[in-house]
Amino acid sequence: MVVCVHIPRFELEVAAASSRLGRRMLAGQALAVAPHAGAGRSQTGGTAPAGGGRVGEVSGAAEARGVARGMALGEALARCPDLVLLTGDPVRVAEVWEAALGALEGIGAAVEPARPGLAYFEADSLRAVHGTQQATIAAARRAVRSAAQLAVGGASPWRVRIGAAPTRFCALAAAVAVRSPRALVLSGGEASRWLAARPIGLLGFQEDTAALIEPLTRLGVRTLGELARLGRAALCDRFGAAGALAHDLARGEDRPLRTRQAQERLRESMEVGDASSGEALGRVLGVLVSRLLARSERRGRTLRAATLSARLLAGGGWRERVVFRQALADAERIWLALSVRLRSLPAPAATLELAVERFGPPLGEQEALFEEPSPHRTHPSVAVHGRARAHSGARAAARAARLREAVAQVRAVAGQDAALRAVCVDPDSRVPERRVVLAPVPER
Amino acid sequence: MTRALNIPRPARVRCGDGDGVPVRVNGEAVGWLCESWLVEDRWWTGEPLRRRYWELVGERGRNVIVYRDLCSGRWFLQGA
Repeated sequence: MVVCVHIPRFELEVAAASSRLGRRMLAGQALAVAPHAGAGRSQTGGTAPAGGGRVGEVSGAAEARGVARGMALGEALARCPDLVLLTGDPVRVAEVWEAALGALEGIGAAVEPARPGLAYFEADSLRAVHGTQQATIAAARRAVRSAAQLAVGGASPWRVRIGAAPTRFCALAAAVAVRSPRALVLSGGEASRWLAARPIGLLGFQEDTAALIEPLTRLGVRTLGELARLGRAALCDRFGAAGALAHDLARGEDRPLRTRQAQERLRESMEVGDASSGEALGRVLGVLVSRLLARSERRGRTLRAATLSARLLAGGGWRERVVFRQALADAERIWLALSVRLRSLPAPAATLELAVERFGPPLGEQEALFEEPSPHRTHPSVAVHGRARAHSGARAAARAARLREAVAQVRAVAGQDAALRAVCVDPDSRVPERRVVLAPVPER
Repeated sequence: MTRALNIPRPARVRCGDGDGVPVRVNGEAVGWLCESWLVEDRWWTGEPLRRRYWELVGERGRNVIVYRDLCSGRWFLQGA
């Protein structure tokens, strides 16, 4: 039995909590998450939002006025002139959701996170831990609510909707349909019959099938039962692989869960002060990379994926996930890969954070026993210059290796803070203590 | 693990009569006033920064930079 945990309007709830809006206001007012931080109209009034963009999650009142998630900002404001835009906070959303997933893993569940506010886990394997299925669901509800409340720091309860069914998609449909704090549990045959009456809007929860909703609606298909009756071949012919997937989902068939592997997360953050954008922010990023690589918990492992996030001066946050083409442990190459992403920062940053999302294998230290000769034949005069250059390069490499070894030995004897270097973070700052910081010397 | 260099340290400063010009820093008389400048920063945040800096030479010939935090009224030594 798959259990789906759904927190409706999760991003909006977090944005409202960040802007200290009461739950009552969230329920009664037309709210939407602004297209991007820094450009939106705040809840206290102010200037009209600049530029285009599409609104994020919207409140029930906004939905009733015709505003929908993903709608162009201009259209949303035309439909609902008193729409209040909240600054989106993807960093906070990720933190709160990570806390909720951690709480679910804390009750023993192997979790598949779909998106913030939506996760699945297999309940049968937890029966030995919690006794019954109902007890498992109750434990999951308690864990998610307490984690989310702790992370947000509010006393008001979050609406946690839970559905349980034989497959992933059926469980999702049950969690979306349920309107009370009690979980909706569907058994095998009952689940597929029940699913047939559900609207095709549920396909929007899957990235691959979301684009099908609009053409299917135009064709007059309203429910998943009507979609299933169209036939797999016809849907494949019209929509390709997405059509076949939609047909499977409409019949209640779905893939098995892909649970995430719980692993440690290393993170480093820094208040950027005046270095809130541009080249100076790049130097702050360099310091964060050095600090992260110097952490002893890394145990020589390379970095496979990292998350770069920032809290913005104007409020809200920004977050980018970076997967490296190959596992890296070289500070310069990591910096090069990450610094490109800083260009998409929507507004000046107040703090910058770098977290390792996935580690790669440990970096091998083995070097060639003999220096390999160049395979290319060159003219004798060029060869003399080439040999001189190769010789000086080898000396520099040997010096760097000795320095690395010395740094490692000093750290082993006197601790991590023993070998530091001065890094110019913001050399043009008018405040002297913000110009230079001491950061760890990279070992590699 | 990372720390800023040149962190300001509290200083005992005595000023002249009413003009706010330092005449004694940490017990040492000021021999020569070189320069003074004002730094106003982060006024757009909830923690604005307002400092009046003084670069001076003590009677023992030491170059010293002190500033008065105009928000709290306290004196700090930053660079000697």
